[in-house]
Amino acid sequence: MSNIHPLDTRKSQSGEIDAILRNLMGIQGVSAAAIVDNDGFVTHIQRDSEINTDAIGASVQVVFGAAARAAQHVGHHATNMVICENAEGFILSTPVEAGFMLALVTQRDALLGRVRFELKETIPVLKKLFSHYLTH
Amino acid sequence: MPWFQAQMAELQRLAEEYALSQQQTASNIVNVSEKMRLKRAEFIDAVQVLVDKIGKIKGISACAAYHDGLILAQSAHPAAIDAFGATLQESARAAQQGAALLGLGELEQIVIVGAKNKVAMLSIGPLMLCISSPKQINLALALNRPH
Repeated sequence: MSNIHPLDTRKSQSGEIDAILRNLMGIQGVSAAAIVDNDGFVTHIQRDSEINTDAIGASVQVVFGAAARAAQHVGHHATNMVICENAEGFILSTPVEAGFMLALVTQRDALLGRVRFELKETIPVLKKLFSHYLTH
Repeated sequence: MPWFQAQMAELQRLAEEYALSQQQTASNIVNVSEKMRLKRAEFIDAVQVLVDKIGKIKGISACAAYHDGLILAQSAHPAAIDAFGATLQESARAAQQGAALLGLGELEQIVIVGAKNKVAMLSIGPLMLCISSPKQINLALALNRPH
């Protein structure tokens, strides 16, 4: 019995992470929601079209790392979110826990405040889920 | 209760329910996460529905909701949506300082009236609802006659 419970817990936590990503995909203009690990590999993803997951994972980590270093240079300390505004949309990335990042790719018609609000509200619970997920 | 006040009261109730769901401490983080997600969706969906309804009222030029000055929900035909957000941020900052100096309590609404148009900003939980109209429109009357 004691060997089964942690596996069930881990499965339900992973399922909840997927549910959170699906929920983010429900926001107008969001085309992909992904969890990226410290090495730039995508561990969880929801998307509405074919997308290069390796490219997303690597670029999110590189961009976030560069932004975090820039923030340190100007004395802004920890970086909570990086928003890339592009010709055809936005890429938002936020640190979760232990080097994992939450990344969102949106189309141009996304409402930035809506997406940012959802990210900011989602991160605390994702942090808790990840800390449980990584320790069980 | 007039229509608009009833709508605002309902949104405040949903905002409070969402805030309460955030304060829950439970051993099962999955259940807490799901409940928070559902409560947040209920609140934000209701905001979008109200914004759409207000945007269709005769005499209202535009309606939008903002979080930290960034657009969160908008009516079908918004105008100068980013300028709204910037105005809201600046106005809210000044009004909050004034409210603190005068002991007015937590900020509930700000109205700016220009020679041609006016804009009302109303606080709903963590969001601000912005409604604009020509100056001569009586907003209280217009908002209580949604159909």
